[in-house]
Amino acid sequence: MSTVTEPSTPQPVRTSTSLPAWTAVRTVFSLEMKQRLRGRAWYWMLGVWFVVIGLIFVLGTAFLGTMDNEGGILFDLVVGFVLFFGLLVAPGLSANAVNGDRAGGTLAILQVTLLSPGQLLLGKWLASWVGSLAFLVLSSPFIFWALALGGVDASEALVSLLMLAVELGILCAIGVGISALADRPLFSIVSTYMVVALLSIGTLIVFGLSSALVTEDRMTTTSYYDYPDSAYRDDGRFDEDAELECITQTYTTPVAHTEYVAWLLAANPFVVVADAVPYGLPDEPPADAVPDPYAYAGDYYAPGVMEMASQLVRAAQAGPDLDVT
Amino acid sequence: MTDENGGIVVEGVARSFGSVQAVNDVDFKAPPGEVTALIGPNGSGKTTLLLILASLLAPDKGTVRVAGFDPVAQPGEVRRRMGWMPDTLGVWDSLTASEVLKTMGALYGLGEADRSSRAEDLLGTVNLTEYAKQPARVLSRGQQQRLSLARALIHDPEVLLLDEPASGLDPGSRVELRSLLRSLAAAGKTVVVSSHVLSELDEIADRAVFVSRGRSVKSQTLDEAGSQTRRYYVRAEPMSELATALQSYGVRFETRGDSRREEFLIQLGSTAEASWLLRTLVLGDVVITAFAPAGGALEETYMSLDTDRR
Repeated sequence: MSTVTEPSTPQPVRTSTSLPAWTAVRTVFSLEMKQRLRGRAWYWMLGVWFVVIGLIFVLGTAFLGTMDNEGGILFDLVVGFVLFFGLLVAPGLSANAVNGDRAGGTLAILQVTLLSPGQLLLGKWLASWVGSLAFLVLSSPFIFWALALGGVDASEALVSLLMLAVELGILCAIGVGISALADRPLFSIVSTYMVVALLSIGTLIVFGLSSALVTEDRMTTTSYYDYPDSAYRDDGRFDEDAELECITQTYTTPVAHTEYVAWLLAANPFVVVADAVPYGLPDEPPADAVPDPYAYAGDYYAPGVMEMASQLVRAAQAGPDLDVT
Repeated sequence: MTDENGGIVVEGVARSFGSVQAVNDVDFKAPPGEVTALIGPNGSGKTTLLLILASLLAPDKGTVRVAGFDPVAQPGEVRRRMGWMPDTLGVWDSLTASEVLKTMGALYGLGEADRSSRAEDLLGTVNLTEYAKQPARVLSRGQQQRLSLARALIHDPEVLLLDEPASGLDPGSRVELRSLLRSLAAAGKTVVVSSHVLSELDEIADRAVFVSRGRSVKSQTLDEAGSQTRRYYVRAEPMSELATALQSYGVRFETRGDSRREEFLIQLGSTAEASWLLRTLVLGDVVITAFAPAGGALEETYMSLDTDRR
């Protein structure tokens, strides 16, 4: 194509050929929201959601009624389930955003306007995110109920909710992105669910399998106090004057260096939410204090599921302790 | 005629989808102030061509200018000046007719007040004012088609691309569409209409581009189409007398096979020839009950091109 034979193109002179980003995104957003709010499907999903979360909460309350730290465990339970259901709902709300319009013939109508592809995607993502945040808002009564039972710090609750919102936003972004790439809504919804499964279950499986790869035989030294053999007298009685000896043992054992693969877990939505929360752990004892071997460090309390997940991940990140004393 | 700042100029455009060559080699011009018809059998590449003009598809090769701009290099400039009515309805079911138009107005950068008044005007133009507050899903197919037309006009485009605009319209709406398109052309807009309802186009189009198998095979103005050889059908009472008369004048005729009525088809070179035959027959005391062109001018061209209909 030579430039000589081409008809000349006049320079743009009149008003702009692009929309202000805010107007464009807001228009797409309100277009999407109007359709969602006027349909029935979304309300049905919200209703089912409320009933299911409510059931889990009530069952949890009945089951844990007498335990310590009831509020904390219930709170963790609700957060965990909200995330779990959010993982199921968000792809459904987002993964047909673009190709659903294409199937309905409305995508081309939007594309032929001054709207840029980025503005269209941003508006669609925002609409699906706000749509899924409604599910979070609907579960807030239970979250606040659990808070009212005590045992959960306000900052813990705030960070949990914030991270749930962020996770839903990420999932919606994945869904909208896949829907723009795939031709058919069914395909993109299934693909998004596969990605969600990969992130929440796949990362765990890969972590578990790959920890075998980072396992090596290492010399491990342990030391502990014990009575020497001489404390056991020949007649089988115990010499009460015997003193405790410090026994140090060095032996070879397979050790999994989970710290090399723990980063895999950073993609797991449950880990992300669980690990972001600043749990009110008991204070560490001062370094120079003599540990009391028979007492728990600080006050022991039963951690909830999310907190337990956080602790396990941190342990995996730290890797094995080769010098146990 | 087409100048650098208006109309549509298409030169040597081709586009394929995988192994399917949808558009092979299309050249045509659509000048401002005229209605240009894009005519071709199903699957001839009309819709693909319109998608290219609407800046939604990039051609594999060739040059395209819409209102003077290249849809690939300057889509924004083209989109501002071009209104496109797709062949699919594409309706947001739950939005009201007036919301649909206002949304589109917003996406073309119209201000709040502008788009409201423009939406109201256009709903009046396409006779949907009473449905302004109704969700689009309660509209009939023809009404949705009219809403789609209004949608394409919301930003007062210089170039209007209409893909099968008349399909699904009742006769009254067709007449209105016709006068709307004529008035848009009179106002200096470039109007391109794709259709295969040829009798429809006969009355609104100034010129026609014939497309077959992805190629533009012929381009002519309606005046040219009117002066070419045409077929006339003739009916008389009784037919036997007409047959004898025609034979005595040495005019070849055949019995029309595609009609319920018994008619003769006669090929005539010009309007003068037709008026001579009619006068001669009437003066020869043959009782003529019908004497008319067998089809529109465009239909004649279409049939004479002998494009393979698939």
